[in-house]
Amino acid sequence: MTAMFKSPSRRAVLRGGAAAAVTVLAAPRVLRAQPAAVKLGLLQPMSGFLAQAGDLARIGAEYAVKEINDAGGIKALGGAPVELIVGDSRSNAEAGAQATEELNSAGVVAIGGGFASGISLTATQAAARYDLPFLVDSAVADSITQRDLANTFRFGPNFTMATEVALANLVKLNDAAGKPAKTVALVHEDGLFGSGLAQIMQDKLPGLGFEIVEVISHPTPARDMSNVALRLRSLQPDLIIPSHYYNEFVLLARTLQQQRVKPKGIYAIFGGAASSYQFVSEYPEAAEGVFDCNHWGDPSNPTDAALKKEVEAQGKFFAYNAPINYSLVKVLAEAVEKAGAADRAAVIEQLASAEFASGVMPYGMTKFDASGQNASALPLNTQVQNGEIKVIYPADYAQAEPKFPV
Amino acid sequence: MTPRDLAAPAAVTLALCVTPFVGLDGAMLNLLIFMMIIALAAQGWNILGGFGGLASFGHAAFFGTGAYATAILQTKAGLGAWPSLLLGVALGAAVGAFIGFLSFRSGLRGSYFALITLAFAEVLRIASNSAEITGGAAGILVRLDYGFWNMQFEDRRWFAVLAVICVGLSLALVRWMERARFGARLIAVRENEEAARALGVDVFRVKMGAITLSAGVTALAGCLYAQNFLFLDAQVAYGSWISIEALFAAIVGGLGTLFGPLIGAVVLLGVGEITKAVVGGVPGVDLVVFGVLLILTVAFAPGGLAGLAERLGFKRPGAKRIGLKGGRA
Repeated sequence: MTAMFKSPSRRAVLRGGAAAAVTVLAAPRVLRAQPAAVKLGLLQPMSGFLAQAGDLARIGAEYAVKEINDAGGIKALGGAPVELIVGDSRSNAEAGAQATEELNSAGVVAIGGGFASGISLTATQAAARYDLPFLVDSAVADSITQRDLANTFRFGPNFTMATEVALANLVKLNDAAGKPAKTVALVHEDGLFGSGLAQIMQDKLPGLGFEIVEVISHPTPARDMSNVALRLRSLQPDLIIPSHYYNEFVLLARTLQQQRVKPKGIYAIFGGAASSYQFVSEYPEAAEGVFDCNHWGDPSNPTDAALKKEVEAQGKFFAYNAPINYSLVKVLAEAVEKAGAADRAAVIEQLASAEFASGVMPYGMTKFDASGQNASALPLNTQVQNGEIKVIYPADYAQAEPKFPV
Repeated sequence: MTPRDLAAPAAVTLALCVTPFVGLDGAMLNLLIFMMIIALAAQGWNILGGFGGLASFGHAAFFGTGAYATAILQTKAGLGAWPSLLLGVALGAAVGAFIGFLSFRSGLRGSYFALITLAFAEVLRIASNSAEITGGAAGILVRLDYGFWNMQFEDRRWFAVLAVICVGLSLALVRWMERARFGARLIAVRENEEAARALGVDVFRVKMGAITLSAGVTALAGCLYAQNFLFLDAQVAYGSWISIEALFAAIVGGLGTLFGPLIGAVVLLGVGEITKAVVGGVPGVDLVVFGVLLILTVAFAPGGLAGLAERLGFKRPGAKRIGLKGGRA
């Protein structure tokens, strides 16, 4: 017992002191040996009318960065941590280019995001000047990957891919219910996104057995949808296909409810609110039964549920921006891992040639084609059922049977 | 106008020409180019709104026409970038002359004139959003292809120099206007249209000259915008943002002054960037500062920053000769 409390010998003290001194002196060496952080840029609208989407995207991306760093960082670079630098595109195209320049100056290896097509077009072009890889998240204009820009890739589906899926599922939905829907009204915002979709619908729907009774466009932002709702009430279409951003979608759905316009279904394509829990939570009656074909995470992936919890823990409502940007950061980190260097050219080479896990998105393995488009990107069809957004198509990811007519 | 009159604009232009070569990074270079584009648009607005007292809410009509013309002539007509730019300026000026002809012939002034310009810009925005030639809602992309004849420089400092030279030309134009009879007549019309008419000034002709010049300068800003960002859609080209930025920069800088629009553009955009750099992670804080600056200017320095400098004792050369009172519109 006494030995335990015996004073240390002078030799032991000296030995210990020497060891401590060596440790202290060697510390800077150890610090120097730590690999430098790999900087990834996230370009999102953090202010302006699209700020809500940008905020959700940031939460998803930060969640991915935390996961990567908790798992030991980029292993090919000796466990280098990932550092996320967020650029604010302020919801407009030229500020998107300016934020890209700032991210380039900050020394990022690659940029992900963009969100809207106009912003993505100028931002990818600005990044191309520095051979800076840019992975677009949810912007859908086909032209983004049709400009022979070697640095530009798109993770999500483009217009053509998404509308093909949306129309095939619409026909399936209608056929399964005994073809109750014959007439369709298109309501869309007059920008690139809404007008582009409306044009494709006008070209393809008649060939699929639907009669288009009206096409109504409106600017974004729109303050009032009364006239649109009244027009729809007089036309009594079986199906309304809306394409808007969040606020306009909510406004339309609420006005339709107020004016007691009850079509057999509201089938949104990239509906700004139809796949947002804010809409479902704040306007449950207007949201109930609404269909959407949109970017959406794989519901069977537990991380998707964890992301939803994280978004809600931060006091926000879950929407697709979080899972798609979570997955996009994972793809970029994997590209750096595969490149074995925080080098832009090497990352571009990997993105152009390798296959990547798709995070929580239902894309199987992500593989970019010659134009930079993710060939396996796939939108999911959802329906709001009893206050929950449920996947109804395709069968591999379905959580519920569709309810149609509503 | 004597060579001495051009000394100040030439000195400012030279100083700005050197700026891109002092080690600015890409973001700062981009900011400088954007400042020059806004300064040009604001100078265009200043010719009509500052010197002529004809406040417009629709300079986007001229900016967008210049931008679309440059892009369309290159992508659809296969014309070179330089002739496209010149034609863009000419077409912008023609749109200005057209709107001016309809408005001034009907005797529209003040808020009526402001509203008619806003209406024209909106009509053009809606039309270009659906017209095939403008690419509809998808907009127009000018292909990224470096080369002098494409006006696309791999080293962006040269584009910044080009933008500065355009601003220098606009300064020289306004200085000429200040010194020429045309400028004196325009100010006479601004101060008292009836009195000017009684003195034999052809009011319609003077106003037409002002709106055509103003539209041409603003169209040049649009042409540079198209060449810099290589993408246009209806909201970018004819959206109200540019009408507002041009008007703000001119008001903050100093209405009816030579350097006011340039000072306004540099200060407004510069303060925004400095705020972003200092405050960092708060999204939109630069826009708050932008708004506060505008309120302070209107409340405490109605003559703008140029007018404030004058009040503080910095004399504006030539101001007396033509009886300008800084900030009157």
